[in-house]
Amino acid sequence: MVKRLKNYIGGEWVESSATTYTPVVNPATCELLGECPESTAADVDAAAKAAQAAFEEWRSTPMLNRAQYMYRLKTLLEDRFEDLSEMVVKENGKTRDEARGEVRRGIESVDFAASVPVIMRNDGVEDIAAGIDETTLRQPVGVFAAITPFNFPSMVPLWFLPTAITTGNTFILKPSPQTPISMELLFEIMEDLDLPEGVVNLVQGGKEASMSVMEHPLVRGVSFVGSSPVARIVYETCTKHGKRVQAQGGAKNYIAVMPDADLSASVKNIMGAAYGCAGQRCLAAAVVVAVGDMYDQLKDELVKQAKGLRVGYGLNETTQMGTVISTAARERITKMIEQGVQQGAQLALDGRGVTVNGFEGGNFVGPTIVENVGSDNILAREEVFGPVLTIMKADDFNSVVDIINKSKYGNAASIFTNNGKQAREFKYRVNAGNIGVNIGVAAPSASFPFGGQKESFFGDLHGQGIDSINFYTERKIVIERWL
Amino acid sequence: MSLNTFGAILTFAIDLEARMTAYYQAAGSADRAKEADKRRAKLQRARQEYVLEITLEAIDGLDEANYVLNLSDSSPAGQQAAAAVATRFYAEVSPHINVRDAQRILEKCGKEYAALAG
Repeated sequence: MVKRLKNYIGGEWVESSATTYTPVVNPATCELLGECPESTAADVDAAAKAAQAAFEEWRSTPMLNRAQYMYRLKTLLEDRFEDLSEMVVKENGKTRDEARGEVRRGIESVDFAASVPVIMRNDGVEDIAAGIDETTLRQPVGVFAAITPFNFPSMVPLWFLPTAITTGNTFILKPSPQTPISMELLFEIMEDLDLPEGVVNLVQGGKEASMSVMEHPLVRGVSFVGSSPVARIVYETCTKHGKRVQAQGGAKNYIAVMPDADLSASVKNIMGAAYGCAGQRCLAAAVVVAVGDMYDQLKDELVKQAKGLRVGYGLNETTQMGTVISTAARERITKMIEQGVQQGAQLALDGRGVTVNGFEGGNFVGPTIVENVGSDNILAREEVFGPVLTIMKADDFNSVVDIINKSKYGNAASIFTNNGKQAREFKYRVNAGNIGVNIGVAAPSASFPFGGQKESFFGDLHGQGIDSINFYTERKIVIERWL
Repeated sequence: MSLNTFGAILTFAIDLEARMTAYYQAAGSADRAKEADKRRAKLQRARQEYVLEITLEAIDGLDEANYVLNLSDSSPAGQQAAAAVATRFYAEVSPHINVRDAQRILEKCGKEYAALAG
């Protein structure tokens, strides 16, 4: 009997009122892992009411006590680390190391949340006028929600939930219906925290649940991570309903390789950036630009190292690249490669049609490298969200900066160089929210905001770091005089 | 099998220490068994805490077939030979690990076996 997932509302596991269910499939083995309910507006309403009911008591819980829950959560997550990472592999298809890395970064966010009492300290000035003091208070806002994607089923929810609740808010999580089990596991683990009922709530589902979260009057703010078109909808819907919103969208991330870069070491890191998580991350390297006359050398090294990557099932420790999320994703990626080729691109390495012994039905796409890609080519413009790397040429540093800044996206960009002046110029001039210098995946750690510009981010305050504290709190100014 | 990822190397090391624990126990070397088990726990923690997503890179040139332990001989010479294989394993894998904290633990394990190998 296939497991039907439940929602977690008001401190209890409850059946959804859904009438339809999404199959949750292991993308490598095609094993049916469970069925995710398409939760309804009524389910979201129940979660929002439970979260609202819990808010007043929770916000008045001493902050140090709220932080203690985070220390306990960290311990519980460390104890179940391998279970959590195994589940990420099973429902997402990434490799074991990638899954461990993801869970590790999720725990970093819990560490950050434990530091909230330090960060939330208020400031003030005595005698702003004679006998009058002025201070700033930070107060929690109410019910927050997050709508999270399939590509980091464990980490992304932890960008939001720990800080949201430690700052005194209550929370509703709506994970991706493609990878909902990691969060079921997290909520099972969190039951041992004995949080007050309603502080954290889990609503499984898809579009109806997401829309209900965005439109519900009790929900005061929404965090979203997904594609740019949907991020825009989330931003517009939430602002229309008077909510705070941080909506992180897609990307087309460029890597500039300068002639002075250490080629072998750079390419090794670019491999991880392009093909890690099978290219399904918003920080994935999508376009490598060879600057100057080193194109052929760079291409040869990229093809050589990409050819050598072992594609397979993530639970095998020797797998270096896993699957993409679904058959639909594999077909979409394959179609984009075909379109790119029709538009003039040439394949230096073709990952289509890759099969893995023992996992013949798996959604594998091998490392792919395309070249001779014009600026209008779909592979130069649009996010593939798969293991497809485009190589381009640029005459000089200024040209590569122009190429990058013409992109409609602005999530991340990296430069590989040994020249400090060029690295500095790159940081200064490139319009992207996360900049890497000799790092292909410029992923901010939990104490820094996760950047994003242009169509890669809609909103003002980013996830993580001090931005998250500002997002989850309201500042109140007190001007005080005692007569 | 190829030791071509951070996890593959650490998992092999964890397994090696588990086998060495059992081996030393069977040989009546309780102290050495305890040390091997301590290394196993330390390596498990390293695999969990030092996996760094942004610098995960493919590793090449290492194969577990080069580090086969003969655990059927529990004589002092046999124990020395097993420790020598473990020493070589840690010496050869640690330069491939690009997270210094994890590398340090592997190096320390190697040093401890070097002392046993004589």
